[in-house]
Amino acid sequence: MDFESYDVLVVGGGLAGIRAAIAVVEANPRLKVAMVSKVYPMRSHTVSAEGGAAAVLRPEDSYETHAFDTIKGSDYLADQDVVEAFVREAPIEVIQMEHWGCPWSREPDGKISARPFGGMTTWRTCFAADKTGFHMLHTVFQTSLKFDQIHRHDEAFATKLLVEDGRCVGVVAIDMRSGKFDAITAKAVILATGGLGRVYAFTTNGNICTGDGMALAYRAGVGLKDMEMVQFHPTGLPFTGILITEAVRGEGGYLTNKDGERFLKRYVPNKMELGPRDIISRAMTTEFEEGRGFEGAHGKYMHLDVRHLGEAVIDSKLPFMRELGREFVGIDIVHDPIPVRPVQHYMMGGVDADISGVTPLAGLYAAGECANVGLNGGNRLGSNSLSECLVFGAAAGRQAADYVSSARAPGSNPVGAMLKDETARIEAAYLDKKGGDERIGAIREEMQLAMDVGAGVFRTREGLEKLTKQLGTLRDRFEKIKIEDSSRTFNTELMAAMELDFMLEVADVITYSALAREESRGAHSRRDYPERDDAKYLKHTVAFRTDDISPRLEYRDVRITNFKPQARTY
Amino acid sequence: MSAEAETATRTYRPPMGAGWWTRKGHYFWYMVREFTALPLALWLLWLLYEIQRAGRGPSGYYPPNSTAFVIFSAICLPFALYHSFTFLKLAGVILRVKLLDKPLASGVIVATMFGTWLVASVVVGAVLIGFGR
Amino acid sequence: MADKRITIRATRFDPEKDKSPRLQSYDIPFSDDSMVVLDALNYIKSHVDGSLSYRWSCRMGICGSCGMTVNGTPKLTCSAFLRDYWPRSVTVTPLNNFPIVRDLVVDMEDFMHKLKSIKPWIIRKQEIPLGAGEHRQTMDQIGEFRQFSQCINCMLCYAACPVYGLDNEFLGPAAIALARRYNLDSRDQGTKERLPMIAHPDGIWECSFVGECSVVCPKGVDPAKAIQQTKLDTTMRFVLPYGNRE
Repeated sequence: MDFESYDVLVVGGGLAGIRAAIAVVEANPRLKVAMVSKVYPMRSHTVSAEGGAAAVLRPEDSYETHAFDTIKGSDYLADQDVVEAFVREAPIEVIQMEHWGCPWSREPDGKISARPFGGMTTWRTCFAADKTGFHMLHTVFQTSLKFDQIHRHDEAFATKLLVEDGRCVGVVAIDMRSGKFDAITAKAVILATGGLGRVYAFTTNGNICTGDGMALAYRAGVGLKDMEMVQFHPTGLPFTGILITEAVRGEGGYLTNKDGERFLKRYVPNKMELGPRDIISRAMTTEFEEGRGFEGAHGKYMHLDVRHLGEAVIDSKLPFMRELGREFVGIDIVHDPIPVRPVQHYMMGGVDADISGVTPLAGLYAAGECANVGLNGGNRLGSNSLSECLVFGAAAGRQAADYVSSARAPGSNPVGAMLKDETARIEAAYLDKKGGDERIGAIREEMQLAMDVGAGVFRTREGLEKLTKQLGTLRDRFEKIKIEDSSRTFNTELMAAMELDFMLEVADVITYSALAREESRGAHSRRDYPERDDAKYLKHTVAFRTDDISPRLEYRDVRITNFKPQARTY
Repeated sequence: MSAEAETATRTYRPPMGAGWWTRKGHYFWYMVREFTALPLALWLLWLLYEIQRAGRGPSGYYPPNSTAFVIFSAICLPFALYHSFTFLKLAGVILRVKLLDKPLASGVIVATMFGTWLVASVVVGAVLIGFGR
Repeated sequence: MADKRITIRATRFDPEKDKSPRLQSYDIPFSDDSMVVLDALNYIKSHVDGSLSYRWSCRMGICGSCGMTVNGTPKLTCSAFLRDYWPRSVTVTPLNNFPIVRDLVVDMEDFMHKLKSIKPWIIRKQEIPLGAGEHRQTMDQIGEFRQFSQCINCMLCYAACPVYGLDNEFLGPAAIALARRYNLDSRDQGTKERLPMIAHPDGIWECSFVGECSVVCPKGVDPAKAIQQTKLDTTMRFVLPYGNRE
């Protein structure tokens, strides 16, 4: 049996994935790349990023301060060598994007402009109005179209990594359109599948952010690192969870409570609205608990006020926010404050990978939000993630291109058997399954609500233990799901079932990792352990899958180079 | 594009009925706009014919003797006006005019167009009336 | 308010079973004034009928996945509010002018080909090295093409375009608007390379300026304007002695 075979296969068509694919063909134009994405690439969630991409471009700025801001922002859980390499690469990648056509907003002299952002000590967030992710994704996707070596498999859902002799040699994927199972083989595989926000009910993430790549790697035996570190963005619209960019505060917006008070003066007096996300989200939650939030039809909220900026600034710097306010809230942000509250936004944790995206599984690489290369530690600074996608997407692509120059092609015999097994597994579990009475939607909603409560902004032992039990019950119920859709053609119910399977897996890892970290660091805030404990936990959590529901946890030292951990105050 | 795209999967292509232009007001007025070209063309042909007749001397083109043409002209007038109106209105969308390095607002362009049209009509009207005397 | 309900009728089509599409009716709670058509579909899929298929992701009007026809008009269902229809029922059908793959899912391969055909990337005679830094570009220069760079490829414009409906060979509104976006970018020198596709009989000249594309565009791109301006530019290029310059 012969399978479609490539040199490098990229799973995921967002910013990191496409950047990786281009990096492969730039490194060696003779290489054949496959890009497997469950949506058309321009639908990838990068498109929703708003604020900007951080890079040291202004002469007044320095690599050292960007590195320090990032490390301090991470609550010292970032690997400092990785951060130092990242800050040097980011400007090159931002310029590369400019050459590819990204419409970066400009200074009067025509140079790329920058805006202030949370946790950054100076202006270094490059932006394309407030649709930076949209413009970057479309730019890089459209640029990728000129490379005939990149073969896209759009709307193909990867269900399993193919592992042969301890080496990753491709994926099994279902073509959504035909329902056909395929083994797509390659000498190397790069995971760039993005985040997992949909394990939470209230999230900025799109429907497609279901932690697929993390679960795929986890099931192939690769560790997931720092999965307790879940970022809550301070400003999401109530009800929908739609992201209101941090750039609103970067451009000078105020956060006020129901008394009209800029309450951040009690939490981050030196930074105020430009404090880091984890601290501001905690501050807002505390204000809510102490009765100083507004009460609305969709829960408590604060005001994000840009009225003092004036229409001209809003229209040139924040036009999409005005559009979102009009469309989804029915307000004009020029005249009305925006209702906001903390919302799940980003996963700092991810597939255990090094500075070049190399994972412990030979032939497997990871980049972007699905990876943890050690950049973000306990809390990512806003605008570091678009840069991360570029820098580490490119790094993984180059590394994979180098690796495949000496790697042999996968054999087809074991691949054939693996495809057969995987097809049989999915057919038995979902398509040909008889009986079952549990609805996917019901289990998913219960998981999401349980995660919001148990693994939210603040955590406790009791809450997390309860959550592990809830997730266990939901896993049992998942075994009894009912698939009503028997068609093979664009069966989105099958896809939803497989996504839920992945989400239950990563939700478990988040919960057990959070339970084990008995300290408060970055976004992981334990009420029962409110202090940071460097003696015990200046370490990465790495979770491995076991046959049991709970993962096996290992700890690995954080790499410290130039910045000794100190108290984190703003 | 997708290497996977299986042409084997059957799709359904809904037919586009001949009455599609009645589905929406916008489509309807588009058809009206396009249709106005027809009477205008016919009027021009007739006009050519009348001019040719005028060449044969006073027995040729003379409005009171061409009642049919006058009536037809009156019928064509609203079509011509509507056509001109849509044409000038849309011109504001199409033309890009820069004044002192700033793009001119399309409203200004449209207003200028209509202004010019009005002035031209007055001038042409005056000339014709002048000749008529 | 508590028991307000709304009727949603959605297209159902499974090529493995059905000869042609049909409408299925669902009566669901309209529990919150903020609900959009997409929320209604999600409610149906989660609680009533798991087999209903449609695309969606960001639910904030930027990913471009959830375009469908709502009561006859192409819309992003994530920003089509039920309150604007209630108490009338809402009929959701796939985007017009595309082959239906399944239920509310249409085949968009044709668009993907057209997108690539207009070379939507920066074309330069001479690339400048990365080390030389960025191209200088002023906000005014960005203003030249900004509007046309806002396209989210949702394809509502194709669904609204009768010309595309009657002749699928037509390059279509979004693709031409994108070509214009690159042609007007001060960093680009590829106008001439794109010309064969654009000035092709199936390109700009196929457009008879219905203008509905610009009416339905959720991002204010105004593809109709892009096409007419390109017609004018292309003609000038042809007519004027200096028109053929880069």
